[in-house]
Amino acid sequence: MSANSSDQLFVKALRLSAILALAIALIGTVAGYFAAAEAGIFAALTGAAVSVVFGSMTTLSIWLGGKLPLNGFYGLVLGGWLLKIVLFAVLLFVLQGATNFSGPVFFFAVVSSVLGNLAIDSWLVLTGKIPTINN
Amino acid sequence: MDAVNIAELSGNIAVVGYGLAAIGPGIGVGLVVSKTIESIARQPELAGRLQVTMWLGIAFTEALALIGLATPFIFA
Repeated sequence: MSANSSDQLFVKALRLSAILALAIALIGTVAGYFAAAEAGIFAALTGAAVSVVFGSMTTLSIWLGGKLPLNGFYGLVLGGWLLKIVLFAVLLFVLQGATNFSGPVFFFAVVSSVLGNLAIDSWLVLTGKIPTINN
Repeated sequence: MDAVNIAELSGNIAVVGYGLAAIGPGIGVGLVVSKTIESIARQPELAGRLQVTMWLGIAFTEALALIGLATPFIFA
């Protein structure tokens, strides 16, 4: 099966999201160390991990859902969103009890990840060649 | 609980914040997806283009939820 333009767009989005997560891990580790020592490093790496999972989950659900019938697409996209919010709530519950963890560093890592992924998605949709009819 | 102390509640106010952070984007994502499905049902040949546009709509809407859920880390 040859990849169509939509597939290429989603693959490119996943690749850029992974690069963004790596950048957040590197920059966040340095900034977190200066802000809160070991607690900052742990928080920055957790934020980067959250960035990988959440940045790719929406893209994957829409990409894979697009290959399913309409009700499967609906279930996968909304189910993926629900799973993401539940996972995030569980993560927050676990982290709030952690002692060696810097909350502000984690917050800024997550916000950088969310805004960075938005920038990537917007840029790809605005500049990408989106097929009107798939192959 | 008597009438004088009816407003006396215990717990963490951040929990209310989690709910507020999820309800708006939840409605937003529902609207984005329902309108996309409606559009695909009208014009199935545009499904690919509509799904990619929906992806952007969902990304912006869910950003609100994720930022809202993470705010207790700076306001706590």
